[in-house]
Amino acid sequence: MRWGAWIRGLATALAFAVILCPILVVVLAAFSPTDYFVFPPPSLSLRWFAEFFRLDNMRNAFLLSLELALSSACIAATLGTFAALHLARRKGWVAAVLQALFLAPLVFPTIILGLALLLLYKSVGMPPLPGLILAHCVVGMPYCFRTVLGSVQSLDPALEEAGQSLGAGPLRTLFLVTLPLVWPGVLSGWLFAFIVSFGELNTALFLTGPGVTTLPIEIFSYLQFQGSQLVIAAASTLQIALIILMVAGIERVVGLGRIIRSR
Amino acid sequence: MSADAPDVRLEKARKTFGAVVAVDDIDLAIGRGTIFSLLGPSGCGKTTTLRLIAGFEQPTSGEVFIRGRRVTDVPPYKRDFSMVFQSYALFPHLSVADNVAFGLRMRRVGRADRAAAVKEALALVKLDGFADRFPRQLSGGQQQRVALARAIVVKPAVLLLDEPLGALDKMLREEMQVELRELQQRLGITAVFVTHDQEEALTLSDRVAVMRDGVIEQEGAPRAIYEKPLTEFVAGFLGASNFFDGRIAARDGAAAVVETKGGAVRVAHAAGAVGDQVRLAVRPERVRLLRPGSEGIVAQVRDIVYRGSVTHYYLDGAGGAILAYSQNASPGASAWAVGDAVACAWDAESGVVVTPDRRP
Amino acid sequence: MRRTLWAAALLGPPLAVSLVLFVGPLVYLFHVSLHEASQSELYGPGPTLANYAAILADPFYLTIIKRTLGTAAWILGLALLVGYPVAYFVALLPPRRRALVTLALLFPLMVSNVVRAYGWVAILGRRGVINTSLRDLGVIDAPLDLLFNQEAVVVGLLTILLPYMVISIANTLAALDRRYEEAAQALGAGPLRTFLHVTLPLSTPGVASGLLLVFLLTLSAYVTITLLGGPRSKLLVSLIFDSVVSFQWPLAAALAFTLLAIALALTGLILLVLRPQRVQGRG
Repeated sequence: MRWGAWIRGLATALAFAVILCPILVVVLAAFSPTDYFVFPPPSLSLRWFAEFFRLDNMRNAFLLSLELALSSACIAATLGTFAALHLARRKGWVAAVLQALFLAPLVFPTIILGLALLLLYKSVGMPPLPGLILAHCVVGMPYCFRTVLGSVQSLDPALEEAGQSLGAGPLRTLFLVTLPLVWPGVLSGWLFAFIVSFGELNTALFLTGPGVTTLPIEIFSYLQFQGSQLVIAAASTLQIALIILMVAGIERVVGLGRIIRSR
Repeated sequence: MSADAPDVRLEKARKTFGAVVAVDDIDLAIGRGTIFSLLGPSGCGKTTTLRLIAGFEQPTSGEVFIRGRRVTDVPPYKRDFSMVFQSYALFPHLSVADNVAFGLRMRRVGRADRAAAVKEALALVKLDGFADRFPRQLSGGQQQRVALARAIVVKPAVLLLDEPLGALDKMLREEMQVELRELQQRLGITAVFVTHDQEEALTLSDRVAVMRDGVIEQEGAPRAIYEKPLTEFVAGFLGASNFFDGRIAARDGAAAVVETKGGAVRVAHAAGAVGDQVRLAVRPERVRLLRPGSEGIVAQVRDIVYRGSVTHYYLDGAGGAILAYSQNASPGASAWAVGDAVACAWDAESGVVVTPDRRP
Repeated sequence: MRRTLWAAALLGPPLAVSLVLFVGPLVYLFHVSLHEASQSELYGPGPTLANYAAILADPFYLTIIKRTLGTAAWILGLALLVGYPVAYFVALLPPRRRALVTLALLFPLMVSNVVRAYGWVAILGRRGVINTSLRDLGVIDAPLDLLFNQEAVVVGLLTILLPYMVISIANTLAALDRRYEEAAQALGAGPLRTFLHVTLPLSTPGVASGLLLVFLLTLSAYVTITLLGGPRSKLLVSLIFDSVVSFQWPLAAALAFTLLAIALALTGLILLVLRPQRVQGRG
């Protein structure tokens, strides 16, 4: 089936082109010296990055997004790890229901979750920033839960039993045996929670307010109300750069394969 | 083409993977209606040889023939064979009946004929009534039978079996060996069988080819291979053997007297001139233990292991350790005790001159 | 005793978060959807099914629901058509290269959707790459309207979500025992029939999860839909946001549950048609 190989190769080239082109265009546009993006750009400049940091709301949104991603990822990683440690060795319908519950936000339409949280927060008077952190914690927790669950389940249960047989209680077994062995899973779960929070739109759409805006929402409202200015390209490029930095950093620590498997 | 032309023939078939030579210029001819075993340790090239016949691998050089037709460049699905895989490879999304019918569908056999053939094949492997089950609902042994039914229902020129009994436990394996043999004889199918289990190869086959490092060390009927091994490797791989190094001291036609460290022994067939170094292989069950006297190789009993039907004697001889099996033909304690001095003797026919191992 | 305490200490916090911030709010949202609107409060008197009745009786909403399903159908169909061969290509790569290609597919998913949608705006917009290039080449005088239509939404979402489809199917295909395909060939099936009768059915778990992911993410992709579709190509999710902006909380809640009902119905349909569970478990 010669033509089968042709179709596959052609489809792959096409797919990568349409998947990556928009991202490349954005990065290219960010370095434009001109007021509007001209293709190909006559020269490169950092003008729009300077403009980005000059704009208060842009800079603040970037910092808030960073703060939000860091705090929500830490909480999500902790809670996800707890849940995974609890469920990793359990069987039966209760465990199955709990596992489904912890994984549900992964496929649940987040726009509905955002609306539901908005109504809840309105009725209890939750301030915006903690509300956002908690929302992103719910969204990020399944990623951590899944990666840690995989790590713990691939662990030989005899290791934990060996720890306990040598006189370590559950807590010491956890810290001395289990966590040292599963921490790469925890770390890649944390990475995904961070990345998801840093680019999240659907809950942030409802939960951000005046003065408390995340970078993706700031980009969105800029696009909607101020038009396609190139400072957005600079903001987007910073978003992409930070993600590459994070992935590269974690890759150095836990390895590429684990990041890919833990998706 | 005559009726006894081989169903499978390899001519100088060679297969390399990078720098590794998996199959090294093998010549092979497998006659119609025989069960042919490819036997050897893992990595000896037996599975690659099978896959060359199937066409899942293309030979680097050499030719492959099935029923006299050159199939070297023919893709697997156009070759006249079917195969039982080690993992069975039953399609998990198809029922037992659909699995068995698969090959018939591919051959565009009509629905009614297909159903009849499937029913017959399932009856042959004693799985009537399992047609609507799915593979995951069957035990290992049942899955094995389905795989077999799926392979024989298409009435192939050659049936290839890649360690088909490897996943079964010992009892079931022995039962399946007998059934497989019966089925093959009834259908008159030519079968090529890959195994690393020497007992299985001996039980099941008409002919055995012992492979090592991509070459066939020896090919022949099971009895010939077991009783007249040509090389030290074959003697050691099929069952246990004692080896004795010696020098031809005298000749008498084909027979000779070989002088070993522990004493002189008579050998029925030996090539070579007086003074040549030779290595003898002797099966432990052929070794008789006698009171020390004029005959045999002197040794001392180091350990005695009672194994039910036989007793194993571990002996220290002048030339090294010797193993002897003694049939427990009558009740009572062993005739020997640890520490006893004995003489090991055997018939001249039982000592076989083998080519020493190439390896140290 | 200590064991139970230990188990409760591990399970307690994540379970509390799940119940209070996930299950609870959804129950509350459903509660709100069963009430009338109110000028001053979040919701008025109830319970009533009026909100749902209003949605199902209004031709405007029905048109939008139909459009949502139509758009999703296009995206799913194209994602499968393009994604399957790509997944096949990826699955056949040697492990090391497969990992690199998977990372190349994973990376775009890490970039915020708003950035990726903006990329399409920068390509398709009136001052976008295509229009300026065509004008510079002298092909057109006035810019083409490539943005703000259903096609732009389909292309945008398709490219944003395609990696999910590819990765799902590629994972299943790569994990598939090659012996199945060899068994089919040993039984006389050529490449095409091996694919149709063995490979394709065995890859249904990956196809199903790919379709589900793409479908569910399509349903809530408000930002992409808004940026590429504009005001004239609104989908169901846009209406939820619109009613929030106009403070019609019970209506927004009812629309959200309508969306959820569609999501569940389609999920059930996909699982029913593809029956991915039938190939799971060892053969």
